[in-house]
Amino acid sequence: MRWLLAFVAVLALALPASALAVTVDEVARDVKCPTCSTPLNVSEAPVALDMKEFIAERIAEGDSKQEIIDALVEEFGPSVLAVPPKEGFDLLAWLVPLVAVVVGLMLIPLLVLTWRRRSPSSEPIMGTTSPDELARLEDELRRRSEG
Amino acid sequence: MSDDLETDERPGRGRLVAAVAAGLGVVALLAVMTVGLLNQERGNSIQRAVEANERPQSPDFELPALVGGGSIEEGGSVRLSELRGTPIVLNFWASWCVPCRTEAPVLERLWSRYRDRGLLVLGVNVQDLTGNAKQFDEEFGLSYPSVRDGDDSTMRDFEVTGVPETFVIDRQGRVAALRVGPVTAEEQLVEAIEAVL
Repeated sequence: MRWLLAFVAVLALALPASALAVTVDEVARDVKCPTCSTPLNVSEAPVALDMKEFIAERIAEGDSKQEIIDALVEEFGPSVLAVPPKEGFDLLAWLVPLVAVVVGLMLIPLLVLTWRRRSPSSEPIMGTTSPDELARLEDELRRRSEG
Repeated sequence: MSDDLETDERPGRGRLVAAVAAGLGVVALLAVMTVGLLNQERGNSIQRAVEANERPQSPDFELPALVGGGSIEEGGSVRLSELRGTPIVLNFWASWCVPCRTEAPVLERLWSRYRDRGLLVLGVNVQDLTGNAKQFDEEFGLSYPSVRDGDDSTMRDFEVTGVPETFVIDRQGRVAALRVGPVTAEEQLVEAIEAVL
């Protein structure tokens, strides 16, 4: 175990600093452009370019991804986040789709049962016809063929 | 004879479920359309009222002062309703906005020209990074104050869809005039300012 830890530590030291640092794209993916509401990494709006520059500066200063995102939330409010936080009213954005899926899954067996009940019976119709009805039917057919 | 034959035509539960689901779908669609129409109405109500020569009450806000000026100190809090009694030119701007660069010197001149007569020029910085906004202010040597609307809430309340946009607010806190787009010459606002002084 000690050997494994030592190996991981040596490996981490051997990596260049840039390989460990977060990239602008990684941060930009998690926030939105305030003017066009598209993910920052694909936005070319003027404010989006400013924000990417801001992210690059913060990365150069050694800030972590979360620290940079927190700074952007401080600047623009929680609405700058690409995905809503899992708390308060925004929790609804996570819960409503889940509830919809669960309700949908619960409806499937109910609908299948209903449709199966409505589908035509596999038993032959004649099987439920009484001998008296058969006699009347034959009589009717005979009369029609004669007439 | 046909009366004697049984048919399996009774309305099933499935049909009822489908009818209820369709009904709910229609109600949801109508709700979405109603909300959309109401928002559309809200989207330009200030502008339409001003165009109809009305003076709608300005929305209120409480925002931090990004840069000080006049009696407003940097870092303090500015509540618009507390400025009642002061005619205001309220300008929404951002440092990345190219027309705002043309406009800033014009607003500075209007502030210098009318501040002795009680006018306050107040910037509202939106959709911007604080550092860039302050840099913009320094670059143009602006002496009028600005507040910062970080989450766009005030921008939405004033139904501003893009920057720059400027509102002239009278002493009673009502919108007397508004200009969508940059103020490129003092004359474009002089008449509206004179009307509220």
